[in-house]
Amino acid sequence: MKLHLVGLSHKSAPLEVRECLAPPPEALPTALRQCLDLPGVREALMISTCNRVEVLAATEDQVGQDELAAWLCAGRSLAPERIGEHLYRYQGAEAVSHLFRVASSLDSLVVGEPQILGQIKEAYRAATEAGTTRTVLNRLLHKTFQVAKRVRSETNIGGAAVSISFAAVELAKKIFDSLEGLSALVVGAGEMAELAVEHLMAQGVRRVLVANRTLERAMELARGWGGKAVGLGELGAVLGEVDIVIASTGSPQAVITAKMARAAVKARRGRPLFFIDIAVPRDVEHAVGELDGCYLYDIDDLTSVVEANRAGRAVEAAQAEHIVAEEVVKFTAWLAGLEAVPTISALAAKAEEIRTAELARTLKDLSELSPEQAAALDRLTQALAKKLVHDPIMFIKGASHDKSPDTMRQQLALVRRIFNLEENGGE
Amino acid sequence: MSTTLHWLTLAAYILGSLISMGFLVHQRQGLYRMGMALLWIGFGLHTLALATAWVEGGVLPATSLRQSLDMFSWALMGAMLVINLRLEVKILGALAGPVCVLLLLAASVLPVMPVVKTAAFRSGWIILHIISIMAGYGLLALTCLGGVLYLGQDRALRAKKMGPLFRRLPSLGRLDSLNQASLLAGFLLMTIGLISGAVYAQMFMGSYWRWDPKEVWALITWLMYAAMLHTRLVQGWRGRRGAWLSVAAVAALVITFLGAGLLANGYHSFSSMAELGGPRP
Repeated sequence: MKLHLVGLSHKSAPLEVRECLAPPPEALPTALRQCLDLPGVREALMISTCNRVEVLAATEDQVGQDELAAWLCAGRSLAPERIGEHLYRYQGAEAVSHLFRVASSLDSLVVGEPQILGQIKEAYRAATEAGTTRTVLNRLLHKTFQVAKRVRSETNIGGAAVSISFAAVELAKKIFDSLEGLSALVVGAGEMAELAVEHLMAQGVRRVLVANRTLERAMELARGWGGKAVGLGELGAVLGEVDIVIASTGSPQAVITAKMARAAVKARRGRPLFFIDIAVPRDVEHAVGELDGCYLYDIDDLTSVVEANRAGRAVEAAQAEHIVAEEVVKFTAWLAGLEAVPTISALAAKAEEIRTAELARTLKDLSELSPEQAAALDRLTQALAKKLVHDPIMFIKGASHDKSPDTMRQQLALVRRIFNLEENGGE
Repeated sequence: MSTTLHWLTLAAYILGSLISMGFLVHQRQGLYRMGMALLWIGFGLHTLALATAWVEGGVLPATSLRQSLDMFSWALMGAMLVINLRLEVKILGALAGPVCVLLLLAASVLPVMPVVKTAAFRSGWIILHIISIMAGYGLLALTCLGGVLYLGQDRALRAKKMGPLFRRLPSLGRLDSLNQASLLAGFLLMTIGLISGAVYAQMFMGSYWRWDPKEVWALITWLMYAAMLHTRLVQGWRGRRGAWLSVAAVAALVITFLGAGLLANGYHSFSSMAELGGPRP
């Protein structure tokens, strides 16, 4: 069994390439099953977020990555070679390491952001539902979740002001002192806005208003937070009632104007308003940020605030990398041991087969034996067979741990020849 | 006795201010607590020193510029410490502390004047007048300090970098509470001070209002603070505009406190106090 990982991310590919590669969620099971139809592919999993698309596959030895890459690029709106130049390919320990790093949020746009683990869990769930994971990927993914958890608990990578939401909370605290009992307004929806709201609520924000183009979506979100839904047309009126505004609509022009903000500050008797604009293009007019009592941060401002905290994070990241490296060694050892499993079980099976056959023959000749005596004879043969194969089995296990893959394969072949075990793959 | 206490107070203030400034740089909670404790001790000594001077001199120690500065320093420190009990604006110790030290130092180098011991200075009205005006000035000086800090944090927030200034300055919300509380209390005390002064003037000089330069400036200052309170509570000028107003108003306050007393020649000036006789027939 071999592990392969092929994909692209925000580091290797521009947005339009990532977009064209990401399958819609409902097409994911079909895509995974198609991947399993590729020759030699035994298990497959696909991670698809707005920042990355990756295919992870466990394959038989002779299968290369080119087939996987070709499959990934085929039938897209862009020419395969245009996608291909952005792909990265990892195998074996490198693939494991990459997956661990991604899940631990070391490869994220905002290092330490917590969403990615949930996204990988979601990808794994989709793959298990489609029935495309078995021994290797099940084990690998469970290990991945453990590693990500370890990184999170043993380092402070998610604790400092690493994520944009966290930066927003820090800023809000410098404006309002405490967020206890404040109200927030969410304009538009999206993962980032939702995450920011949850952060704010965890800090004590009590009331959440949701404004959205479609009222149903607004009501659905508002229900989740125990809030209230409002129409986009009422924005001007509700702006005076809230302290924090998170804007993330897809609207091409600004939805909150300087005029609206000025009226809102007046209605609030000068109490400040904090605007977080995470939409691109921006939702809040630039002039709002100049007004007395209005503080406006757009996505670039928040990113630069986050950047300012990078120094402390480098140390945490180094520590996290160390944990990842440690866990990669453990997993690859397990994976290598997996290769020895068929030989070990074939050897044990052969010994057992000989023993039962010979025992049956002997018992036929010794018909006057009492059941107790027959049982004793059975135990004797069992012990003999076990002791005879014990040392070879230990040799195979040792080989899989200490030796390079090539040496291990040679030694396994030798053991098979010595004991005349038939060549069969499988688990 | 009061001189020894005066120097001990100064020593405690200097040490407390230095440690509070150390807290500002290193942001260690231990330093903050130590600085505050020393300032509290200093304030206790200061109160004791003023009380001793009162007993020794027989009149409230505010008859010379030396004593007035001393008392203003006491009022500012007291206002800062008391307000900090509730609002915990931790940066204040490092800012108000040195101001109090400078006021005390200035008081120390000024000449000692003979204490005027007339019946006019023993009246309850003038004691109320001086103490409430002084405490009011201390609180309003704090409003100005809060305003400056507000402008600083406003700038830091708009600069969009979480720099050292951003991290050390208190939040806008907390500064707003400080400004509102000190403005309300300071304005109230100043009003009491002006009214008690007018009553005193009526009793001892025969008229409530005499167009003395200090009186006129005090009225101007009072009107400025009244306007500030109005715009804050009614129009919501609590942001940058409110902060700038508090700085401008303190300029008027300084003119009232020092300028009108030293430069203009009215009966409020310390030099003419000696001439002030007893109650008029």
